[in-house]
Amino acid sequence: MQLRPRGLTAALLISAAGAMPAMASEELLQNICSACHMAEENGLSRISGQRKSPEGWMMTIVRMQQAHGLEISAEDRRAIVQHLADTQGLAPAEAAPFRYALEKDPNAQESFDEPFASMCARCHTGARGLLQNRTAEEWELHMDFHVGHFPTIEYQALGRDREWYKIARTEIASFLAEQNPLETAAWTDWKAAQKQPVAGDWVVMTDLPGIGEAYGKLTVTGDASPYQVSGEFVATDGTAHPASGQMNLYTGYEWRANLDIGGTAYRQVLALSEDGNSLQGRQFDRSNDALGAPLSGVRDGAGSVILGTVPSAVPAGEAQVQVVGTGLDGLDSSSGETAANTYGAALALASEGNGVVTFSTGGAEGQIAHYTSVDSLKVEPEFTIARVGGGSEEGPAAVPAYFNAVGMWNGPDGKAGTEDDVRIGRVEAQWTVANAHEHAAHMKDTEFAGKMQANGIFAPAVAGPNPDRPFSANNAGELTVQAEAMGQQAEAMLIVTVQRFIDPPIR
Amino acid sequence: MKPLNQKAERVQLAAAEGQMEEVRAMQTVTAGCATTFDPGWEVDPFGGLAALCQPMEADLYGCSDPCWWPAQVPDIMVNHQSWDEGAPNAAKDWRALGATYPTDAET
Repeated sequence: MQLRPRGLTAALLISAAGAMPAMASEELLQNICSACHMAEENGLSRISGQRKSPEGWMMTIVRMQQAHGLEISAEDRRAIVQHLADTQGLAPAEAAPFRYALEKDPNAQESFDEPFASMCARCHTGARGLLQNRTAEEWELHMDFHVGHFPTIEYQALGRDREWYKIARTEIASFLAEQNPLETAAWTDWKAAQKQPVAGDWVVMTDLPGIGEAYGKLTVTGDASPYQVSGEFVATDGTAHPASGQMNLYTGYEWRANLDIGGTAYRQVLALSEDGNSLQGRQFDRSNDALGAPLSGVRDGAGSVILGTVPSAVPAGEAQVQVVGTGLDGLDSSSGETAANTYGAALALASEGNGVVTFSTGGAEGQIAHYTSVDSLKVEPEFTIARVGGGSEEGPAAVPAYFNAVGMWNGPDGKAGTEDDVRIGRVEAQWTVANAHEHAAHMKDTEFAGKMQANGIFAPAVAGPNPDRPFSANNAGELTVQAEAMGQQAEAMLIVTVQRFIDPPIR
Repeated sequence: MKPLNQKAERVQLAAAEGQMEEVRAMQTVTAGCATTFDPGWEVDPFGGLAALCQPMEADLYGCSDPCWWPAQVPDIMVNHQSWDEGAPNAAKDWRALGATYPTDAET
């Protein structure tokens, strides 16, 4: 049965008209949602008892479409997400511990105490639950929702060996009601806080997978979502990659942008700092979110700030380094020549042997290592997964994995792997993969699971049963990723596994 | 010795064709999602792949229909009732199985 919410026709007409102004957000919420949600003292039933991230609200509306037959245009859906995230969102401090889930960081690993770990985080990230705040009653209803929608929950392992429902209704619901209540001081303060404007110029630093470390400048114009964003990124080799697109700002600080950068569609999930002067988050390939990297940014002209250097480390000798930041006039460096530029300051180095060059100005400090040798290597991430994919028009694309080699010095104790090791920075490495163990060797995983590319990106093989493998097994595999540079080696673990058919913004 | 059932007959056939390497008892390899093993979707309880169903399409619906991996694979019991339309045999029709989260539902 399809439920057709009251007022839907009017909403669709307005969207279809295009040029007409969008309906006021609260009115839109009422029109679209009140067909099922009853008006109560504090707002619409269920909705008024919850606060979530923009992604959380989006997933809720998508579920209303998929499970309850809601029909809604993409424009109205985004407008409602904007309204709900602005009025019933999460304070920066509430989202901060779980940003890895919003950023779709493929290498984040969670660790939670029992019983939350096996009751909740056995199916989805713990972050998915903890990026929500609810009334005590809403948390109880949330447990019932799980039993109704996913009845197998009670007879899966870790479900049938305990009184799942009783634990959910008592221990988990009360834990969450205490941990993540609807009303918090953080949210009350954030609602009352003066929100900082996001428009202006931003100096940014990141890594474009397949291209390398990069810096750039983005200019934000407009006074409401969607803001216009334009600028460029510059790679280590000096090549420029023009950037343009749109950004939505939710809850006064949640930056979500879709940008074309040099012909590739990227997405940015960033948080604007409470003082409005810095950005932090992750930028990733929009069609392949495993290919991404942290992105940091500073408002152009916000005092003297150093974000880092591109490249992050240089082989000894002559080198051009970009110190990325703002307000770096008169940058004082322990070696080399500096000259302020639009991205911070250029640093021309002529170094010998292993060492570290430090620089500072106006209270901002930074450093870069130059090297002729490394004592050890580290592969980052040390463990991750990739997924087979493709081979069909319908199925999920393969999910690659992105590795980097980081050079290390032993530090004062002369031993590798201890706390005083000095991180040099990213170094060029030769990449290979090996079977992780006897079973992988028997299954010839290195032959079937995919290919390691020279740029540190592992490209998994195609999905589907493979008749050339025992049992027609998928092209899954357990591999050791090996990096070699300057006579040193390091390893990481890579599991190449099967597709994910449900892949929402918060996993 | 005469095989009593189809499985025994297939074992005898495998032995005759020198393919005993591929014959495994259920106790050593999870060929189906037996409740004694409860494999996860990405990895098995030991953090690897050895105890996962392989290929996963061979027994996919047996697990996904009743919602065994509710956050990873669509169930057709409650939440995604038409997911397997046009794909009655997952091992043969796996190309018809798509992702369920709408691509335009971005913040």
